[in-house]
Amino acid sequence: MSSELTRRGFLGGAAAVTLAACASETEGPRPTGQAAGGPQVTYAPPTSKLSGDLTILMWSHFVPSHDAWFKGFVQDWGRRAGVNVRVDQISVNDLPARIAAEMQAGQGHDLLQNITTLSQYEPGVHDLTDVVKEADNRWGKQLDLCRKSSFNPNTEKFYAFSPGWSPDPGDYRKSLWSEAGFPNGPATWDDLLRGGAEIKRRKNVQMGLGMAQEVDSNMAARACLWSFGAAEQNEQEEVTLRSDAAVAAVEYMVRLFKETMTNEIFSWNAASNNQGLVAGKLSYILNSISAWRTAQSANPAVADDIFFVPALRGPAKALAAQHVMYNWIIPRHARNVDAAKEFLLHYTANFAAVTYHSRLYDLPAWPSLVPQLNGWLDNDPFGAKPANKLSLLKTAVDWSVNIGYPGPANPAVGEVLGTFVLPNMMARAARGEATPARAVQDADREVRRIFDNWRRRGLVAG
Amino acid sequence: MTGGARRTLADREGALAWLFMLPSVIYILALVAVPFALAVALAFSDVTVGDPSFDWAGWANFARNFDDPVFWRALGNTFLFTAVSMLLIVVFGKILANILVADFRGKWLIRFLVLLPWTTPVALSAVAWLWLLDSIYSPIDWVLRRIGLIEGNLNWLGEPTLEMVSVIAVHVWRLTPLAAVIVMAGLVAIPREIEEAARMDGAGFWRRMFEVTIPLTLPVIAVAALFGAILTFTDMTVVYVLTRGGATHSSEVLASWAYIRGISGGDVAQGASIALFLFPLLLAAAIAILRAVRRMEVT
Repeated sequence: MSSELTRRGFLGGAAAVTLAACASETEGPRPTGQAAGGPQVTYAPPTSKLSGDLTILMWSHFVPSHDAWFKGFVQDWGRRAGVNVRVDQISVNDLPARIAAEMQAGQGHDLLQNITTLSQYEPGVHDLTDVVKEADNRWGKQLDLCRKSSFNPNTEKFYAFSPGWSPDPGDYRKSLWSEAGFPNGPATWDDLLRGGAEIKRRKNVQMGLGMAQEVDSNMAARACLWSFGAAEQNEQEEVTLRSDAAVAAVEYMVRLFKETMTNEIFSWNAASNNQGLVAGKLSYILNSISAWRTAQSANPAVADDIFFVPALRGPAKALAAQHVMYNWIIPRHARNVDAAKEFLLHYTANFAAVTYHSRLYDLPAWPSLVPQLNGWLDNDPFGAKPANKLSLLKTAVDWSVNIGYPGPANPAVGEVLGTFVLPNMMARAARGEATPARAVQDADREVRRIFDNWRRRGLVAG
Repeated sequence: MTGGARRTLADREGALAWLFMLPSVIYILALVAVPFALAVALAFSDVTVGDPSFDWAGWANFARNFDDPVFWRALGNTFLFTAVSMLLIVVFGKILANILVADFRGKWLIRFLVLLPWTTPVALSAVAWLWLLDSIYSPIDWVLRRIGLIEGNLNWLGEPTLEMVSVIAVHVWRLTPLAAVIVMAGLVAIPREIEEAARMDGAGFWRRMFEVTIPLTLPVIAVAALFGAILTFTDMTVVYVLTRGGATHSSEVLASWAYIRGISGGDVAQGASIALFLFPLLLAAAIAILRAVRRMEVT
């Protein structure tokens, strides 16, 4: 017993030192006050005896302190549970190819994680219904957007386990927007156009909604479509893209591009809008809080000037896509399924520590797991100025939805996302290669082709 | 004394030849033939990233390609990048080779530096170019602004035309050294007497170039051109790192579209059928290379 306490103390100290080192170099101010050590990690013995090896493949978190903490966390669990755990963390850009290669080869890690839907992998993974049920029993109801990102209603299978997610608020430069007459930032898509155009005209600082083949452009296109009342599918998973609402959304994006942006947005990768915001070159972007966290150390003056707004209101709704959706899968080739499931439950049980060590980037799929969350958002432990800068995220669940909303994140939605159909639709109209109506029509045709392909395989309804 | 001795392996030329060739044969079978056969099989299947089980799909994947406007755009871009790059690689390779065979102080250092782009891993050099052409931080734009040639940044990777120019420029940058080395080998093989005879007859630099040097090195130049074409035609890294195919697929090539469709989209069979379109052209190029090499052997 005493040796366990000593070990826990050691790990806690090591994690704090590592966090401090990371914070001083790359992640802004160190945590202060009561929250400085982070939540205590809890451990519940597995329901059955575990042994052997467990290998995990996951992303390198955008917030490096999470990874430093996670390595200690997972090793500690392995020692207690009697499992030899190996974690391989790689760039998020490399994950799709790596996961695909392992699935095709039928060998590799026992537990695979990505930050977007993995619905295309359903035929090759274990059903995780028992894990989700156990989690529901322990911690209440899972958030709808996480459930829709991991459950296929047609096969009634939880092909993935989604313990957490990250919202995608608007990040704006307060000084610029105040001068344009919007001291609290834009609240509607119309505000975005008027304010953004004014800032570009006065200051020559452009807006940062990408229209390229990258993830943030995917999210921006969806947020705009939903807010205008359009969607790629309905709840019954029928394709609904071709609509007047979609044409109106594309027409709006064309105006937004012409009046507030430059061709730069066509060349962006996932990091470009972060870099632009941190460099003080963009007035508004749609992104997680990581760009601002980076600015806290890289450019504190800009960080203090960055504020957040929830999803912008459009003619129909005010919705944004999730930014990150954690999807864990256990492939059929996994050798230690029991250990993988137990680890998922242990990891989820400690989501308060996950949220804390990700610097409030990762939010829980089971809200009861992080009762401290609202307190942290009102009084940021990591040096936000003002301290309640993130308090708007308390309502993030109300204005965030899953990819594929109002339907589930099925494999067809995954392919539409992965082949960038929607940002390309926006870009074609913005570049003048097609009228908005034609761009929507062509995109609709492609979406239908993709849906038909997956429907034939029995993975999509309709 | 040796007449009755048993023949050892060293005496059996046929067996010895096979023994020496075996590593290459194994290498080619394992890393070329098997993946190629796999790609052919996948292209006629319905395999997805999550379902490796093979079901016969016939020509359905190819039919879908013909119906896909992005596929045609990628095919056109692939040809355009290859044709323009090949032309520039040959021209610059020839010029560079002429410079590198000349005698001057520090020749070996210059040769070493010139070869660096070719020896640098393509992913690494493409990332370096990504930063050189960045929309905000581009040092190229910074220099052009400082010397007053431009006012704002050029958006190298955001304007459709500049995007194409950038991709071609990086291909030319990385493959010109290879072409130069190949052409250099041809240049140094030209007997000095022929060059001197032409000079004695009063032929000037350009006449010697077009009537002596180029005709004599034409097979080597053809090899350089074909290597340049194949390496550009099959490359995905430069496009994927620089533009990821570009907004509206403006710089998409077959290799990048095969990856996006097959891996990001999850439809492995469809991706394989796109990639397989490269095969007939690569086969023709390989035959052309082998014929050129054979002609060189004959001459």
